[in-house]
Amino acid sequence: MWPFVAALTLSITLAACGGGGGGAGSAGDPGLSDRAALGKKIFFDPSLSASGRMACSTCHDPAFAHAQNNALPVQSGGAGLDVPGFRAVPSLNYLEKNPSFFFDSEGTPTGGFNRDGRAQTLADQAQRPFLAAHEMANGTPDVVVQKLAAAAYADDFRRVFGSAIFADIDTAFLRARQALEAYEREDPAFHPYDSKYDAFLAGRATLTAQEIRGLALYQDPTKGNCSGCHPSARGSDGTPNSPPLFTDFTYDNLGLPRNMAIPANADPAYLDMGLCGPERTDLAGRRDLCGAFKVPTLRNVATRKVFFHNGAFSSLKDALTFYVQRDTNPEKWYPMGSSGALEKFNDLPPDLAGNVNTTEVPYNRKEGEPPALTDAEIDDVVAFLQTLTDGYTP
Amino acid sequence: MIAAKGFLMHARHPLAVALLALGLALPRAALADEAALQKRIDALEAQLRALQDQLTAIRADAKSAQASAANAQATAEKAVAAAPQAAASGTAAVAAGNAAPPASMAPYAFPQIGPNTVLSSYGEIQYNVPQNSNDALADVGRFVIGIAHSFTDRTRMAAEFEVEHAVTSADDSGEAEVEQAYVEHDFTDHASGKAGLFLIPVGLLNEHHEPTVYYGVYRNHVETAIIPTTWREIGVGGTWHDDTGWTVNAGLTTGFNLSKWDPNSDEGRESPLGSIHQEGQLAAAKNLSGYAGFNWRGVPGLEAGATVFYGGAGQGVDFAGKDAKVTLYEGHVRWTPGPWDLAALYAHGAISDIGDLNATFAGAPTPVPATFDGWYTQAAYKFTFGGGQQLGPFIRYEQYNTARSYVGLPVGFDVPTGPNNKATTLGLNYWLTPGVVFKLDYQWLRPDDTQSRFALGIGYAF
Ligand code: HEC
Ligand code: HEC
Repeated sequence: MWPFVAALTLSITLAACGGGGGGAGSAGDPGLSDRAALGKKIFFDPSLSASGRMACSTCHDPAFAHAQNNALPVQSGGAGLDVPGFRAVPSLNYLEKNPSFFFDSEGTPTGGFNRDGRAQTLADQAQRPFLAAHEMANGTPDVVVQKLAAAAYADDFRRVFGSAIFADIDTAFLRARQALEAYEREDPAFHPYDSKYDAFLAGRATLTAQEIRGLALYQDPTKGNCSGCHPSARGSDGTPNSPPLFTDFTYDNLGLPRNMAIPANADPAYLDMGLCGPERTDLAGRRDLCGAFKVPTLRNVATRKVFFHNGAFSSLKDALTFYVQRDTNPEKWYPMGSSGALEKFNDLPPDLAGNVNTTEVPYNRKEGEPPALTDAEIDDVVAFLQTLTDGYTP
Repeated sequence: MIAAKGFLMHARHPLAVALLALGLALPRAALADEAALQKRIDALEAQLRALQDQLTAIRADAKSAQASAANAQATAEKAVAAAPQAAASGTAAVAAGNAAPPASMAPYAFPQIGPNTVLSSYGEIQYNVPQNSNDALADVGRFVIGIAHSFTDRTRMAAEFEVEHAVTSADDSGEAEVEQAYVEHDFTDHASGKAGLFLIPVGLLNEHHEPTVYYGVYRNHVETAIIPTTWREIGVGGTWHDDTGWTVNAGLTTGFNLSKWDPNSDEGRESPLGSIHQEGQLAAAKNLSGYAGFNWRGVPGLEAGATVFYGGAGQGVDFAGKDAKVTLYEGHVRWTPGPWDLAALYAHGAISDIGDLNATFAGAPTPVPATFDGWYTQAAYKFTFGGGQQLGPFIRYEQYNTARSYVGLPVGFDVPTGPNNKATTLGLNYWLTPGVVFKLDYQWLRPDDTQSRFALGIGYAF
């Protein structure tokens, strides 16, 4: 009996680690449905890309909360892994509560997948990485399905979805993406809720004095006001006692500086404006939404090496300093134009600069005013954000 | 009550008038109490018949019509004096607070919808103009339907269904709720027990919150912010009373759920317990609570009582407040000498073992208060006119603090306690008949003067 339990525990632990295990093995994963176990194999399979060297896990590395593991603003894909992308890679953790896109009763855009919410479901979202030229670059679904039919787990695929599944390209492509969705939803590696902060909320850990100060600044509506968009209290998603997700899935325009390290930005006419395009097309007419991006979760944010949709910052300290000094010290963040005037909010067309949120704490200050957080206070908030990294052991 | 109706319809004599008055004080009580009182009314009716026989005999004696009347009057006074005791188990007549209305008004009984089943209802509509008159509001504050049924003369049920703020749906701010639903059984003439969803016997208002019962357009702050009227729990409760005016209540019920505390909302500051009550709605019931209290009505017109409620509030939820406990105690006095109606109440609440939880709320505007309390005094005088009308000017002074103290807040991130609110309310209740009331008042609030307001209200209850 005990050896059996021990073996079971061990295998669950291994599964939960979700490691870069490359999708070998034929048996289903304990704790995962057949579909999800299949999805896991697809997630780690580089043979499904044009280069043969890129899997979902290449950009969504489990060791980095399923986000990128490097400090590049954008990743490159394609057959030669040399076609640059457009946005920094978000973490896939804690998307299990991400709703489909909708406008709430007050007209606030909410939910959806990708930084502009253009995909309605996880399965829907998975089309792009398989096909897009700058990612796995298969071009069309039939190429993906051919590769699936040749994969080591093709028999599993048939067993789960029917022996004739590969004959129907569209259905087979859909099933592969549904399997990915099942994996992302089911595997606790995507939502372990085991950070130090989770233990603290449960009364099982204490934060250091600095971390508590950081938490207080984070939650104080007159100081950081971070919980206004990145909620930190239990039940804040409306489900009683649910752990906080550190995002309310809404959208905001932070007025980030243009990141010239993104190759696409060499073209002055290229503007990534989130909700209103160019990637997303259905809200192109909503000029008021231009520049708004989805609020990302801050769980595991300290494992990131670049921040925000355009990776404009490469340390948490800089990212937070930008928040509080954007308006008090704009010269720190934006370039001088040829005319000698500061080009504030230079990643937006000048006539849309008014879309930037300048009314909410912490970025409601004016030039010359003291920033909402001092340098030492920013350090405190950074210390707090470090308690949000999963895998805490007391 | 129901049995008494026919008889009271034909009441003419001063003696009958006095008893009629007693009978009329009763309909204003909570329906629940009605059912409890029915048996006693039957007894009173029997007594009344006996007295009437006696009276007839006295009349027949024909020595002096005058003397007979005086005699009858004396008997009547005795019957009225007994009212507090008759009401002791149900707390009806005294808590109802309206002195006996005049004889000229039409007698009233609950609509009977079956041989042993009665219907009741109350409602209140308010109009409120704060300092900033742009925020004036008119609202159907409450509409309630109740039903009570006697299975036997010892076993009955009572239930109330309430709609607050007129319209209820996912997008509206109204609420529809079952306010009470319980069965009650008399074990002896002095002891009864109930089980189900019932109102906690606490304070002056919680069990007797109909608009015709209290002064002012809105319920007082202390019994809203500190005692979360209308406060009900699911559980069992017992009541015992004797013949000298003592009533003792005790029970075991569901309690509060601190895991619902929202540190970013104002609710917890408006009413700490009101924001974490469960109202019998899939109530987390890992921790039970208990209450015990007494009332003494040994002197006609006087009621004095106290209650304490205690229980865990962690409810088995895995969070930093899992060991928290809620304690609420209150003491109250009400004295109704003649047309006067004088009342005072003090209530004190505490939530313990919340240091760890408040640490998680660091920086948030509304941590959990360790203590909160409040008191009020109220004086009213009732003028009685023809046709059952009454006019009751009143003044009430209240002090209440929903956050008297905090614990567990990190150094440098104190949240100010208080405020120590002071409310003075001056107003007028006008009863067209005892079941219909029009109200008007002005309330001065300190320190937040912007909340000072003028208000008008209409209420009914039967
Ligand atoms: C070349 C890097 C790369 C690869 C490979 C890749 N992704 Fe992504 N992923 C991204 C980027 C960049 C985004 C953000 C895109 C946007 O906002 O438009 C993203 C977004 C997502 C999102 C949405 C996250 C959110 O917050 O809404 C999901 C889900 C996702 N990817 C899943 C996958 C899956 C499944 C695969 C494999 C089939 C995959 N990705 C392969 C880079 C990659
Ligand atoms: C009004 C809403 C709002 C408030 C308040 C807010 N944020 Fe954000 N936050 C966002 C949005 C929207 C993004 C994504 C912006 C983008 O990528 O263009 C973001 C992104 C971030 C990121 C980058 C995360 C990543 O994965 O790249 C960090 C770090 C962050 N916020 C921290 C904070 C902190 C700390 C505070 C408080 C000082 C705060 N935020 C307050 C809306 C908000």
